[in-house]
Amino acid sequence: MTFLTLSPQTVTLLAVLISIALIATYFLKLRHRRVVIASSMLWSRVLDRREARSLWEKLRRILSVLFAVVIGLLMVFALARPELKFLTGSAGRLMIVLDTSPSMLARMSDGKTRWQHATTIARQLIASAGPGSQIRVADTSGRYDSPMTSDVARLKRSVDGMKPLPATARFPEISDSATQVWFITDGVSNPAIPGSVRSEVVYDTARNVGITAFEVRSTPAAPQVYEAYLEVTNFSRDVRGTTLTLSEGGPGRISKEVQIQPGQSYSELFDLSNFQGGGVRASAEANGDALPLDDVAYSYLPAKKKAKTLLVSKGNAYLQAALKLDAFVDLSITTPGEYREDPSVDAYVFDDFAPQVQPAKPSLIIGAQRVSWLRNPSGDMDRPSFTSWTEDHPVMQFLSLHDVSISRAARIDPLNLTVLASSGNNPLIVASSASSASSASSAGSSGARWILVTFNLESSDFPLHESFPLFIDNALAWFGRDRLAIRRNTGTVEVPAANALISGPDGKPVSSQTYRDRTVFEAFEPGLYVATKDGQRQYVAVNQMDRRSSDINHRTAMRTTDAGPAPPFLRHELSYYILLAAVLLLSLEWFTYHRRITL
Amino acid sequence: MALFDDEFRKKLEYLSIISRRVFAGHFRAERRARRRGTGVEFADYRQYVPGDDFRHLDWKAYLRINKLILRLFEEEEDLPIYFFVDTSQSMTYGAPSKLDYARRVAAALCYIGLANLDRVYMTSYAEKIRGELAPQRGKGRIFKVFRFLEDIAPGGETNARESFKTYCTEARRRGLAVVISDFMDPTGFQNGLDILRHFRHDIFVIHVASHEEVEPSLKGELVLVDSENNVSREITVTPSLLADYRTEFAGFCEELEKYCLKYQLGYIRTVTDFPFEDLVLKVFRQGRFLK
Repeated sequence: MTFLTLSPQTVTLLAVLISIALIATYFLKLRHRRVVIASSMLWSRVLDRREARSLWEKLRRILSVLFAVVIGLLMVFALARPELKFLTGSAGRLMIVLDTSPSMLARMSDGKTRWQHATTIARQLIASAGPGSQIRVADTSGRYDSPMTSDVARLKRSVDGMKPLPATARFPEISDSATQVWFITDGVSNPAIPGSVRSEVVYDTARNVGITAFEVRSTPAAPQVYEAYLEVTNFSRDVRGTTLTLSEGGPGRISKEVQIQPGQSYSELFDLSNFQGGGVRASAEANGDALPLDDVAYSYLPAKKKAKTLLVSKGNAYLQAALKLDAFVDLSITTPGEYREDPSVDAYVFDDFAPQVQPAKPSLIIGAQRVSWLRNPSGDMDRPSFTSWTEDHPVMQFLSLHDVSISRAARIDPLNLTVLASSGNNPLIVASSASSASSASSAGSSGARWILVTFNLESSDFPLHESFPLFIDNALAWFGRDRLAIRRNTGTVEVPAANALISGPDGKPVSSQTYRDRTVFEAFEPGLYVATKDGQRQYVAVNQMDRRSSDINHRTAMRTTDAGPAPPFLRHELSYYILLAAVLLLSLEWFTYHRRITL
Repeated sequence: MALFDDEFRKKLEYLSIISRRVFAGHFRAERRARRRGTGVEFADYRQYVPGDDFRHLDWKAYLRINKLILRLFEEEEDLPIYFFVDTSQSMTYGAPSKLDYARRVAAALCYIGLANLDRVYMTSYAEKIRGELAPQRGKGRIFKVFRFLEDIAPGGETNARESFKTYCTEARRRGLAVVISDFMDPTGFQNGLDILRHFRHDIFVIHVASHEEVEPSLKGELVLVDSENNVSREITVTPSLLADYRTEFAGFCEELEKYCLKYQLGYIRTVTDFPFEDLVLKVFRQGRFLK
């Protein structure tokens, strides 16, 4: 027997002292109340007869002191928290880490998932830990990490609250070297595990065919022609017949049966000409597939519509050519003198001109102008050059502006504007921001987006660069053109826009945080998410397309351990039962004393 | 001390003590005596013998049968009533005390006796005869009885045997002996009553107990002190002990009652919280003590 709180010597000393104190207290004569009675004749007869009656009369005089001593000793023992390993197991510090990588969702031969087996083992480990053991439960996603506690119910609740997540598996930090650590895993994720960790592997070979790549994109030759690239990999150990299906909300649907060799991938480009646009769902269905998570993938097909664009220019061949070449633009041209705002126009391009009143639709202004809804130039700067630009901004995507020469540009104050490109501290291309749009709206302006290029095309060789038509196209796309979805893997997702509102595949809001100029949210389910900012919607296709997670048979070398400890005979710490016995004895003593069974 | 009020005293006058035996008395009283004498109530005839009072000759019978026939009359005589009041220390127990209760009972019975022209003897006893009142006769002597009862000083252990032996060995006429006591006699109540029986007194036992003796309300760890001899005893009062005591007390009462039944002694048991007037007026009548 060992004691968790007191040394055996202290326990013995306390036990002896308590016993002596209790016995001494018992033998201290209580001052009995004197009662004068008429005659003790009858009382004497009764008492003499009772004293001679049985041994019990003598025994029960010492029963109370026996009760008191036993109760005292039980309390001393409870205080010392004794431990009998054959009864209660041994109390210690235990850490249980559950692998929550997506591969744990793979179904095993008995129909249960690896995760279900893992949680069962975790509960068994918790139950088999000695009463009083301090246990910590954590997962490899970093989302769950309970403190050390002996509250079994709380620990089991923690296990119930865990679930496999598409996040990078990281083994939690072990705070105490004396802690015994169990890692319950299928051996697929293989995080860096300290050497002292004992592993419990839940694994058997399973069949899985998963989508490893899916993208909807337009062809470079014809931007309005979209195709879908689908790659499906067979992670099983036999040939798998798989049905590939692409579908949308409309009539578009493509289905194909393929045979995929073990360990091989099948990829194909599918023409989406028959699809009307909207969400596109790809699925790979194979019989007996163990991991459904990677059997579907989502993307977005932009609607096939041209934006009606009005160019207001005195005549600019480069600009007209760039706009006419843009497949998404339905171009109209007018001069500044003949300019009238047209409600049917989707976007305006003002070349070296700007109307006094901001149009209701977005506009691209080439050359700084002195109008109220734009920033007035504060001067000119000679021979500026593009020194920096925000490549993450949709307008500046895929642009290379290193060798653009500019002879003169206007200086403007970039306060509350989004600087897209600049020469040193002087902005060269700015865009309206949310705050400037709202202030403009409060000042009576429309609040529509606008982009201002602070130099004229005639004073630079920008139109001669290949980035120019891309810039024009990006700018018109940013004004509201339906765009392709951003592709992201499940887990933590970043969207290149600050303070965007995120909604999930079911349309419900998803909590998000803004980090610098990005919005970050967690997407654990594949699907088509929507990030909305300033009235502009950006689809985010979140898919589980991680080869390592899908390769559920790729088990790294894992040390397995012997079977876990057997459940203890007693579920609680021994001191719990000792205290219970003391309370019972105390109640018994109270009852017998008040019933005068004991004296 | 007003042992009872005037109204109660009037009630008592209508009662008379009856005795299951009729004893001869020296004085005419309102009781029939076995002896024929000078009473007014005809009893019998007998042959005249010389020396008889010829005033009682039945001359009409002499004329008819020519024989001297003497008419006999029942003589009404007084009854000696001996009251023995236990004044041992144990009688001071209870509220009201057993002694006060005994004094009132004795005074009431004494008054009834005096009212019926009986000769009343009042005696207090404990370990010995502690006080004795000269024989009284007539209602006017009741105040002497009251004074005697008032002056009784309780104390000492009970020893009825020695007390009664001392009393009866003096020349006493046989009469009604009323013993009022709690009978907590360490030497045994039988010894005292045996003495009275030996001297052929008609005995009436009035057993006075206090409520606390019948249903003790003791609790906890106690030292019981005997009021008579100061002997103490430690006890832990338990329900079973109380039950044993009650059984013992009931057995004691039963033993006393059986003794009285065996020797045809009158027996009444009362507790001090029983209304005194009811005891005298009703219980005594039920017990054939009064008529």
